[in-house]
Amino acid sequence: MSKEVIEQVVTYLTPNVPIVPISQGAEAFVFTTNVHPYNASACKTAGDIPVKYIIKYRPPKKYRHPSIDKTLTKHRTLSESRILAKLSQVPGLHVPKLIACDVYNGCIWIEFIGEDLPESHGFSNLKNFLWMYKTDPYNIAVEKVLFKVGEQIGLLHWNDYCHGDLTTSNLVLHQENGDWSPYLIDFGLGSASTLVEDKGVDLYVLERAIISTHSKFADKYNEWILMGFKSVYENEGKKGQQKLKDVIKRFEEVRLRGRKRSMLG
Amino acid sequence: MPYESIPQFDTRGVCVSLFRDVKNIEELRSKVGTMPFAVIDASCVCCREQLFSAVYKALIEWKYNRLRTKALHSECILSLSPTSNIGEAFRRFGIKEGTRNIICLAVVGKNETQTSELFDVVDGEEVELSDENLGSMFDLEMIKKVCWPLKVFQ
Repeated sequence: MSKEVIEQVVTYLTPNVPIVPISQGAEAFVFTTNVHPYNASACKTAGDIPVKYIIKYRPPKKYRHPSIDKTLTKHRTLSESRILAKLSQVPGLHVPKLIACDVYNGCIWIEFIGEDLPESHGFSNLKNFLWMYKTDPYNIAVEKVLFKVGEQIGLLHWNDYCHGDLTTSNLVLHQENGDWSPYLIDFGLGSASTLVEDKGVDLYVLERAIISTHSKFADKYNEWILMGFKSVYENEGKKGQQKLKDVIKRFEEVRLRGRKRSMLG
Repeated sequence: MPYESIPQFDTRGVCVSLFRDVKNIEELRSKVGTMPFAVIDASCVCCREQLFSAVYKALIEWKYNRLRTKALHSECILSLSPTSNIGEAFRRFGIKEGTRNIICLAVVGKNETQTSELFDVVDGEEVELSDENLGSMFDLEMIKKVCWPLKVFQ
């Protein structure tokens, strides 16, 4: 399967765009490349570090009727690109920049975020970052990062967007002047939503992700994230306080019953 | 003739030039539909990235026969616009009254030979299409108004 898909991508992108596969999910394949899709001068200006771009490709699914497949791929690619484009206009919110998208082939080009952690701790997502600090779990650096993670989610929700799949590997840390700042990635399940339910579920999913991978220190970790989350809403005055109360209340309800509200379907 | 290529479309090339203080704007305006290239008002373009992202998008639409306008060159102008209104895109990003600096852009086959005289009809000083030069010509307020209509985030 995956070999076939890689061949498809290579034919589509032509040999002028060399690709390296880095990840594969149920719906999409992720590659990196060092070629900018249209702005050749952007490749040269990065100094000593080679510039990288992400290509996210949604291959056609053979088990679907071709016309349905086309519509679905187009729809999903477009909605992910739209969300990314909208979110990059929110001040303070960190998401990778959208560079190009080809909805007919299900292809998106995005800015590359992150780096490799020191001492082969792997790629700089939140999960690996927390593992890196497992011997010193309550380090101030961890607290700072988790607070900022909370802030990012708070900003996202305050602007009425939901991520849909908040996990520790979908939070990538990018180093800026020696400080780590978290970026939200993968908006494949993202949506614009005013529902408290979706926001509660977002928070719940992340909480569960942290409990399952870093269970020993999860209480403190979740507390720090929630502190960051609350700080965004509290800065918005009375309206923010009210909305925060609603979200937290729903979050606690979701925690009691689980992610799925209805038992139907 | 400055010549750019888009990696994914290796059979095509993009000829693009920036002209400062063009004297025959009226003449160009009257024949804008018949010229084999797109004429873009340079005050609407702040950097190369913006321009080429539109070309890339137009090329994709062209490759899959999804052009919304009649030709690839007009599609490039439409792709610059954040809305899908063709008339509005031409009025805003195309050549108009009061335009002084223009970008001429033609997508050509890789082996086409007559490209050197392509833009001869333009009477203006040709300058390098660099981010610096574009940066000195663009109208920030205009771009803000057109491309940043989201009042919520201001």
